Amino acid sequence: MQKSFKKVESWNIGRLECWAHHSIIPLFRYSSLILLAMTVLLLPVKSFSAETVKLKFLQSVYFDDRGGGIKQPEGVACNDKSVLVIGDTGNDRLLRYTLEEKNLKAGSEIKIPQLSNPIRVQINSKGEIFALDGKRRRVVRLTPEGAFKGYVDAEGVPAPSVFIPRSVKIDANNNIYLLDIFSARVLILNPEGKYQKQIPFPQEYGFFSDLAVDPKGSVLLVDCVKAMVFSAAKGSNSFAPLTRSLREYLDFPTNISTDSRGIIYLVDENGGGIVILGQDGSYLGRQLSAGWNEGLLNFPSQMSINEKGEVFIADRGNSRIQIFSLMK
Amino acid sequence: MSLRFKWFFLSVLIISLLVFSLAYAQNKFKLKPDAKGKLCLSCHDNFKEKLKNPFVHTPVKTGECSECHNPHTASHGKLLDEDPNKICNKCHEGIVPKNPKSSHKVVMEGNCIKCHDPHASNNKFVLLKAGNELCFTCHKAIGDTITKVKFKHNPVEKGCLNCHDPHASAKSDNLLKNDQVSLCVSCHRTDGSNFVKQHVNYPVAKARCTSCHDPHGSNKGGILFDNVHAPVASRQCGQCHEAPTSPTPFKAKRPGFELCRGCHSNMMNETFTKNRIHWPLVDKVGCLNCHQPHASPRKNLLMGEMKSLCGKCHQDTMGLQTRLAEKERQEKAAAKDNVMKGALTHNPIQEGNCEACHISHASDSVFLLKQPSMIELCGTCHDWLKHTSHPMGEKVADSRNKNLRIDCLSCHRSHGTGYRYLIPFPTVTDLCVQCHKQYKR
Repeated sequence: MQKSFKKVESWNIGRLECWAHHSIIPLFRYSSLILLAMTVLLLPVKSFSAETVKLKFLQSVYFDDRGGGIKQPEGVACNDKSVLVIGDTGNDRLLRYTLEEKNLKAGSEIKIPQLSNPIRVQINSKGEIFALDGKRRRVVRLTPEGAFKGYVDAEGVPAPSVFIPRSVKIDANNNIYLLDIFSARVLILNPEGKYQKQIPFPQEYGFFSDLAVDPKGSVLLVDCVKAMVFSAAKGSNSFAPLTRSLREYLDFPTNISTDSRGIIYLVDENGGGIVILGQDGSYLGRQLSAGWNEGLLNFPSQMSINEKGEVFIADRGNSRIQIFSLMK
Repeated sequence: MSLRFKWFFLSVLIISLLVFSLAYAQNKFKLKPDAKGKLCLSCHDNFKEKLKNPFVHTPVKTGECSECHNPHTASHGKLLDEDPNKICNKCHEGIVPKNPKSSHKVVMEGNCIKCHDPHASNNKFVLLKAGNELCFTCHKAIGDTITKVKFKHNPVEKGCLNCHDPHASAKSDNLLKNDQVSLCVSCHRTDGSNFVKQHVNYPVAKARCTSCHDPHGSNKGGILFDNVHAPVASRQCGQCHEAPTSPTPFKAKRPGFELCRGCHSNMMNETFTKNRIHWPLVDKVGCLNCHQPHASPRKNLLMGEMKSLCGKCHQDTMGLQTRLAEKERQEKAAAKDNVMKGALTHNPIQEGNCEACHISHASDSVFLLKQPSMIELCGTCHDWLKHTSHPMGEKVADSRNKNLRIDCLSCHRSHGTGYRYLIPFPTVTDLCVQCHKQYKR
């Protein structure tokens, strides 16, 4: 721009008139068109900046209430009452904390014979804990105090009756969603664990490693092989791709979650980062990176977000849970 | 000027331009009559012998050397008029069909001279060598196998082009002239009593023959792949499939791994007692994610070489290996005679030996590692006591994180990082000061 101004300055008046005639006057003539084009060009930029989400490191959790170290945790869940449950996978146990005003309390151990290798954890609105046993591949249901209540056996599930859950999610109404990789479907169960509905996997996919339910009730699946997200709107009986391959932004997404606004978060396990997508699947950015220091991730496994915007990440490779806050 | 005259003038101009451009194209260098090929040969004397070959490229035969070469100057080697990878396309444009299902890499790269002599040769289509010999210059492994195998497939011996199109195929993968089944049944009758008996009455006429048979020949009778699944070898298809008379004869009797568990129960039971499972093993496809159900050229009926098989899902890991290998090659070339210290790549992965460190079915350790201790695992190949005196082991806490112990992964990344010694920082100093902060500059 400066260069062109210099050029104009050195020109004589006649040339300037000529430049004005050919450049400025058509600008006014087509001003409405130019305005429209600029609006179209600028709008996505504006919406992008409005949607940008950042994670601010708050603290890390390393120990239980007796000073015992956490070992390779793969599961983490929190609720709006600031109850935090950690799947301490390497120690075959769960740990229960409360987080009040950024102060972490207790860290009491929940160790029951019915649960080993907890790799995914969820909490429902009643405070009941659901943990996926990675060894037995069953979902265990516990009371808020940590007593064994039973297995989630999908009572009344239609043929094929065999199901192998790779992940579990609980929605706002306490319905249970199981990612059944053996029969290639998502099983939707009522809060008591009775079969309600199933949604078959799409025809073409690589491998689904996790599922999420957004605030509108849409079920989301993350394909770690194709690096894609699929979605089925509430009431729909089929999945459709929500994104194209996100390979350019991440390596191996193994966990998916959404916040109260429906923003989607993918945990990039091999890449050590969090990829953020809009409700429509549009790429909004990437947060955090791989490393050992606090605020960095080393093969992260599960991520959980509560209403307060507190983010909990099971940082498996660093044997800790990291707590962040969402900065919008 | 009247309109009619304008039209007349314009038509004459267009016709003159057309005639001139045609004449120019035919003799753009204004060569004297009878000077075309002969003029070139007056200097390029050695070509006279070459042109005695029975098969001569048409422009060479007609003396149109300037069809490909510019006698004065050119931007390409050998005074070629165009990019050597594109020049053949000028005349041979339709050699690759639109939207081919498979194409020969050399053709797509425009490397026509890998197979053809642009001037003349002893072989049809001015090929550099005759028959299969030409194909085996690149596809040496297949050539060696075909020569060695006990049971040979007749059409292969006669010529690769019986089944393959050398340039591209509009119909099938692997440059096959037609889809696999049509190609096989064009020679093999599927209604003969012997054929039906051999296939235990299963209606295989439309099934994929290469699920069991090696089209290039093998050491097993019936040119079955060298490694045959026991029930196939004993023709007990009914062990896994429904009866041949069933409306769905090829349907497996049980889904996923449950079918395999019937015979491989020991292996399965051992797998299921481990803490961590390779999840694809228990998905809908199960064991067939990695293994062939009938026969395979590879041990354990694996679907492919481990590098490509694992890379099918772990594209990020294998993609990194490709990039690192290329970086290693470039840096070695740049270093010339200087010895490069420290590896960029980890040999077992480059060799496709993922099982050097991982167990593909299940393990008690994270990452499905063979051993719980990283130090023990690395120690199976590396004598770490010789390369480092840094304290390591269960008693040595990582100063960055009390829950971590110092082991090989505290400093190295086994899949590579882009830095030498597989460390995650550009220099060793950068790595050490992560813990030894007092030495940070």
